[in-house]
Amino acid sequence: MTFQTLFAASYHIYLGNAIWYLIVFALLLLLVKHYAWGPVSKMMEKRRQKVIGDLDSAASNRKKAETLANEREAALKNSRQEATKIISDAKANVQKTSSKIVADANENATSIHKKAEVEAKQAKTDAINDARGQVADISVAIAEKVISKNLSAKDQKDLVDQFIKGLDD
Amino acid sequence: MEKSFVFKFLGLSFDLTGIIGSTLMALVVLFVCIWLSRKVEMKPNKRQNVIEYLLDFTDGIVKDNVSDEDAQKHLSLYAFVLFLFIWFMNMLGLFMEVKVGDWTVVKSPTADPVTTMSFAMMTLLLSFTFGMQKFGVGGYWRNYASPVGFLFPINIIEEITNFLTLSLRLYGNIYAGEVLLTLIGNRLAVSFGLPTMILAAPLAMIWQAFSVFIGSIQAYVFVTLSMVYIGRKVTKE
Repeated sequence: MTFQTLFAASYHIYLGNAIWYLIVFALLLLLVKHYAWGPVSKMMEKRRQKVIGDLDSAASNRKKAETLANEREAALKNSRQEATKIISDAKANVQKTSSKIVADANENATSIHKKAEVEAKQAKTDAINDARGQVADISVAIAEKVISKNLSAKDQKDLVDQFIKGLDD
Repeated sequence: MEKSFVFKFLGLSFDLTGIIGSTLMALVVLFVCIWLSRKVEMKPNKRQNVIEYLLDFTDGIVKDNVSDEDAQKHLSLYAFVLFLFIWFMNMLGLFMEVKVGDWTVVKSPTADPVTTMSFAMMTLLLSFTFGMQKFGVGGYWRNYASPVGFLFPINIIEEITNFLTLSLRLYGNIYAGEVLLTLIGNRLAVSFGLPTMILAAPLAMIWQAFSVFIGSIQAYVFVTLSMVYIGRKVTKE
């Protein structure tokens, strides 16, 4: 390959062209940088930063939401526990109160019962005492009657029996 | 063979075809970029999406091949503009070849080795600059002799072959595409009148589509290899 065939398309070596290309390319470089490449790549970088920032903030937001959700869950659990505690407390209270009421009632009933018994006994003794007094009076009356009426021994016995029977009734 | 209009200025020869093509495409790249990024917003609109996709694409090339983060930032713009510029220059010759008389006025500037060599030289110089900035001049030269001393001449030769393969690959692909397109259009189509014209139309279409593919691939390869060469200079082996 001779030099001439290499440059078959050119005939001559145009050194001027090489310089011209360099100048044109340098100018093109500057103009494109100023009008297109600069703003576009700046905007791309800006967008890249924005995307990075957005991703970061999204991650932190998600973390925040997660902690919030955890807190809420914990609070919910707490409140549930509290509710169960309140209910069980109330139940225990109710049991306690009800048993107390029943015990009170029982006590009351026994005391009333006792009192009644005592009263009844008292009444009985009173009645017997009364009856004793009356029997004495009646005896006296009967005796008076017997004395006045002159009864036979049999009659008198009958009379006393009758009287005592009447007492028993 | 096409002839092009050559003039001399300050002792340097200028080829008008390349100048017109490259300037035109530079303007197209500039206006496309400005149009795409007219309203840059946080929530991207459709046009912004396109330019952001392109930027992501070229940034991907840079990040895949250059591990140094500081260099990545500087190379992002270079890769972006280089890719668009080369892609548009590759496409220029596919749909437009203007001839005035015998002079070719507009064709793909990248179908000319001088153009591709200019861009390859730019990459080469950039790689030198990045390497020297990273390791210092002495460290940069010592890197040629690492890991073993006798590799020094081989590494130096590699620079030259890198430069040549980088530039000639692009040039060869685009030039071949244009040659075949010219052959189909100028020779085959007019050889037997109407029948060959009808035959040539779909052929040209297929080849144009293929050339679009090749042009895109070559632009991608050129940028990728540029980044590979630069990336190799800023990392210690």
